[in-house]
Amino acid sequence: MTARKSYLGVFVVLVILLSSSFSGAKLTEADQTCLGCHEMEQTMKFGNGETLSLKVNPQEVEKSVHRIIGCSACHGFTADNHPQRSYKSRKEFSSLSARKCTQCHDAKESNIHEKLINESATKTACTDCHGAHAVKRVRELSKGNQYCLTCHNKELDVHYKDGYKEKTMVNEAVLNNSVHKNLSCVDCHVRVSSEDHPIREFQNKRDFSMVMAENCRRCHFDKYSRTLEGIHFKLLTQGNAKAPICSDCHGTHAIASARKDKLANAQKCEQCHKDIYAIYAKSVHGAALINENIEDVPICSDCHKAHDNAGPHTANFRISVPQTCASCHAKKEIMQKYGLSTKVIDTYLQDFHGVTMKFYKQYGQTEKQIAVCIDCHGVHDIVRVKNQGAAVVKQHLLKRCQKCHADATANFPDSWVSHYEPDFKKASLVFLIDLGYKIFIPFMIIGLLLQIVLHLWRYAVNR
Amino acid sequence: MYTANREYIRRFGPARLVEHWLNAGTFILLVITGLAQKFHEYDISQWVIMTFGGIDTTRLVHRYSGIALTILTAQHILVASFGILFRKWQPSMVIHMKDFRDAIDNLRYYLGLSDQPARCDRFDYKQKFEYWGVVVGGILMAVTGLALWFPTVVTRLLPGQFIPAAKALHTNEALLAFLVIVTWHIYNAIFSPEVLPLDTVIFTGKISRERMIHEHPLEYERLYGVTLPRHPEGHEDPTEVSSAQRHSTTPTP
Repeated sequence: MTARKSYLGVFVVLVILLSSSFSGAKLTEADQTCLGCHEMEQTMKFGNGETLSLKVNPQEVEKSVHRIIGCSACHGFTADNHPQRSYKSRKEFSSLSARKCTQCHDAKESNIHEKLINESATKTACTDCHGAHAVKRVRELSKGNQYCLTCHNKELDVHYKDGYKEKTMVNEAVLNNSVHKNLSCVDCHVRVSSEDHPIREFQNKRDFSMVMAENCRRCHFDKYSRTLEGIHFKLLTQGNAKAPICSDCHGTHAIASARKDKLANAQKCEQCHKDIYAIYAKSVHGAALINENIEDVPICSDCHKAHDNAGPHTANFRISVPQTCASCHAKKEIMQKYGLSTKVIDTYLQDFHGVTMKFYKQYGQTEKQIAVCIDCHGVHDIVRVKNQGAAVVKQHLLKRCQKCHADATANFPDSWVSHYEPDFKKASLVFLIDLGYKIFIPFMIIGLLLQIVLHLWRYAVNR
Repeated sequence: MYTANREYIRRFGPARLVEHWLNAGTFILLVITGLAQKFHEYDISQWVIMTFGGIDTTRLVHRYSGIALTILTAQHILVASFGILFRKWQPSMVIHMKDFRDAIDNLRYYLGLSDQPARCDRFDYKQKFEYWGVVVGGILMAVTGLALWFPTVVTRLLPGQFIPAAKALHTNEALLAFLVIVTWHIYNAIFSPEVLPLDTVIFTGKISRERMIHEHPLEYERLYGVTLPRHPEGHEDPTEVSSAQRHSTTPTP
């Protein structure tokens, strides 16, 4: 039945449209009479002092879908019967006038319309979105995102159960600047379409954001699945609604590439981790990023990872620190820009701590503690080790050694020859011992082997 | 007391045999656990460390074997010192100028510049070289090993650089000792044509009369109060020593 009804509707509309286009969109005589006055410039004054131009553009009317119903169909009066009326405000006028729309257009057909009319009859009028004299079917008004923006570029309110309300207005310019500019609204706002706009009620804005963020995985499933390993997801599952969801870091309508602006990326973390960010900002890495805009430095996510950030207090995170630091400090092309040595990783890995770390990692003994980069250099407060920074490092070093070597004294930190291969200047004793053996071992072994050969030879000759 | 039967002459008492094998055992353990740490990048090292149950256990085994070798070295020095002091031992390991001359003489003989090999006493220069290598090397390894084990104690008095210096000494000396053992000692004890397939003295404590006369002629002459005839080719022929001479004396070491 309904299908047949709608076919009939379509047929009627088509007939009307075709006939009207053939008829050259002429207005009726009665309408011409109205326009006789309303084509002229005149204003109406409201109780609150607002004014409204009463001039009507006949071309607008001629193009509208309502051109065939005539002025009186909506305005309810004719040139002969034109009562003088006054309204408190322009809003009151438009909302009262718009009530006429519901005579033909059943608002109950669509949830959102009924809700808007019931909730704020004096606030939102049909004409706010659909236009008055130039009324068009919404589909004609818009294409793509424009369709939704027909209403959502208006200052409409959305209410949450907790009493909070906010504007549902979306700035088109913001959308067009985002990385999602080629998507449509409904790609993220999934249960909404041009036909169906269900009313959804949320306890609060956070609930809404969390439900919306579920939709990101429809495209970014890889990132989503990584978040399942992350500390933030774990907090969420434990009921901590403050733990970040996609949109907290990436934004919503203004969504931008996270890789583009490192500083902005780091500042996302600052929203919650203020203390740590303040320390980072003073470190050699943070200061270079913030003050000198050097983007080679690591930001939070470079060390902690973004989506699968498992948290820094896991044994795995700790034991992966040398690898994390190596991802930059072992790269010549980055390090030579700043005159830094790439030997730091290798010298560590060849030393007692590095070897131990390697084996702990290899055999999954990650719960065992051994000094990694951060134990000497610090974590967020990493300082330069050259020039005046060297003194700062040295000053902290004994205390840092004592964390494991409780009975260490002032000489002890020197037992680490820094990240240098021993040479005559930096560690002459070690260098000389190594050199001595480098000469002595081959000398000795070759000598002994020669004796063996000679002995065998003599034995063979004697036989 | 040495007993000389028809074919064999006692060279070492059981205590020295036990000492050798304890030394060898701890040395092998130390080499396995130590070289695995020194050459930690190699697959075999990683297998060794995994087999021992991880790096910590490997280090623990290394340290306790180190203690064992330290005790063995210390007791040997003490026993030898007292032995010599109370005239129970001959100071036969003391290095003399003759040892250097013997080495040169032997080289000349190997090269065909002389007809006679060096005539050695109870311990020849090769054995003295190994002996003192073990004693001096053992002390060095013990001292540097302890320094690496207790770096905070060492740096209370000494500069910090002594720790990496101790490591350099320990690791290089270890490599040297290992290489000397696997080339020189293993050759002389197993692969040398004079002992092939195996020098059994260190198992039985007894050496054959032929080898005794050949390798330690001076000791033999002193023990039995004989003068061995020189073979023109440099081989001392044991058959030329008469049976009467063999049993004429009861030698003391």
